[in-house]
Amino acid sequence: MTNPEAPSNTPGREASHASPSTGAAPAFNPGWLLGLGFVVLACVFWFSSGGDPTPGAPTPAFDVALLDAGQRTTLLTDPPTVLIAGFEQRCNACHKLFESDSDGTRPLTQHGHIELAHGLNDRCSNCHDRDDRERLVLHDGSSVPYAETATLCAQCHGPVYRDWQRGTHGKTLGAWDLTSADAQRLSCTECHDAHSPAFPALHPLPGPNTLRMGEPSWGGGHHGARNPLRRWADHAHDGAHEREHEHGDDDGGEH
Amino acid sequence: MRLPVLNKSAGACSKSPRPAHPGMTRRSFLRRGAVATGGLAALAASLSPLRDLDGTDSFSVQKFLQKHYKEMSPEEMEGALDRIRSEVERRYEVRPEIRDIKAMDGVEFVYALNLSRCIGCRKCVHACVAENNQSRDPEIQYIRVLEMPRGSIDIEDGNHHYDRPTVPAEGHYYMPIQCHQCANPPCVKVCPVEATWQEPDGITVIDYDWCIGCRYCEAACPYWARRFNFSKPSLPKDELNPEMSYLSNRPRQRGVMEKCHFCLHRTRQGRMPACLEICPTGARKFGNVLDPESEVSQILKSKRVFVLKAEVGTLPRFFYYFDERDPFSQMTPIPAGTEGGS
Repeated sequence: MTNPEAPSNTPGREASHASPSTGAAPAFNPGWLLGLGFVVLACVFWFSSGGDPTPGAPTPAFDVALLDAGQRTTLLTDPPTVLIAGFEQRCNACHKLFESDSDGTRPLTQHGHIELAHGLNDRCSNCHDRDDRERLVLHDGSSVPYAETATLCAQCHGPVYRDWQRGTHGKTLGAWDLTSADAQRLSCTECHDAHSPAFPALHPLPGPNTLRMGEPSWGGGHHGARNPLRRWADHAHDGAHEREHEHGDDDGGEH
Repeated sequence: MRLPVLNKSAGACSKSPRPAHPGMTRRSFLRRGAVATGGLAALAASLSPLRDLDGTDSFSVQKFLQKHYKEMSPEEMEGALDRIRSEVERRYEVRPEIRDIKAMDGVEFVYALNLSRCIGCRKCVHACVAENNQSRDPEIQYIRVLEMPRGSIDIEDGNHHYDRPTVPAEGHYYMPIQCHQCANPPCVKVCPVEATWQEPDGITVIDYDWCIGCRYCEAACPYWARRFNFSKPSLPKDELNPEMSYLSNRPRQRGVMEKCHFCLHRTRQGRMPACLEICPTGARKFGNVLDPESEVSQILKSKRVFVLKAEVGTLPRFFYYFDERDPFSQMTPIPAGTEGGS
């Protein structure tokens, strides 16, 4: 009913009529776009937030008890004592009574926990004084107390003893300033078992697992070494190339 | 219902008895109300990432206005430390003993590592993580131990993902790498905001509140010693080390670099770094190179020492050295009873 009347209006009125209807779209659309933008942004954040964007495997758990400095013993007192049947005994309490085997090759009836793996040095009396078991014997027949084990070890391990004296072998704990009262210089038997001095093999703690620290090697590969940086390397090609190379070498050898 | 709307839009030609309220009818009210409500909800939802902020991530005016480490007065530093204390306490429920420990006079720290003694047990790696409050998941490790084939000194041959029942493995040696605290550090040169610098005692440090996380330093380091917090560091409350200092092991936030700092909160108070204390073999040596009697000075004088990538001119303060081969390790015991033969 109103439409037929519209054409009868003046052109100016028509223009004023048209401008709200056509002008409404530009005036209203940006608002909608803004709102739509917020909605999209909201959806993106709402559904993506909470997730950790960092790739990487979880840290493998390990026994925190493994985090110790390993094999460390306290020095024997002077004179040394040994725990037998729950009682602290002086060495000579027994060894005054029993004659010891001079050869030192028969199986031990006492001190069964001792595992002797000291290379060439496989005789008890190389180090232990046969006449006074509370002291150690040097090559020249003189004896030193247990507190001076380093003097005994130095007879064979000269370079290591020299390094230890300089501080380039062994451990200094507590303070880096050697004049400090906290500096604690460890001696031979505080790290090494005198009867089997080689350092025992240990289980390694977990390695790196973050992406920036590289990809795990492929089980060490066939030659054990794998470049952790070369993430996209063609491993199969490497292997084939190396096999060819070996083959070529073999051929060369036959010719 | 259509008529009022049309009349309104038609303006003066309206025959409706109702007065034409400009811009406000029930329909337009509902529409605008819906749009406004929806817009507010969408705005709130779009700010939802802020939900994840807490603890050390939170924005505070004080942190925003905090100056560069070198420009802070003692009072301003104390204020910053107070802020960190309360942040750590809020997040970890532990009151930290945090201080700003300055370098000592007449001290230049140097590290030396005996490749003949290292067995690759990685205890240093995890002692470091426990000491320095690194993120546990994903775990950030400052020390990387390379398993190297014997006879090669090319670190491209190294593998840091070795996992064996026991170490050391036959035919391999182990080379731990951490920040070398270079005297000519490329990481410091590339930092666009001077968030990392070399201290008088030789330690290159990072102001975690000044770092913008551009990772230029990570790219510049030839030893691959710098680590980036890609995500918010996760550290269990009971594993926090409360003994910390501003430049070393205070908790980091997401988006900043970190690296080994020779445990400066320990070493600047005379103690040894955590990696050295844990080392079961005594392969690690640390000390003041300006003291001629120190262990590291003795090593530099008397041992065969080398630095990694000497050709790049970074002048590391981290030295590797070897021992002479111990002749006794190559000998086998004489079987019992053959003693008289010799």
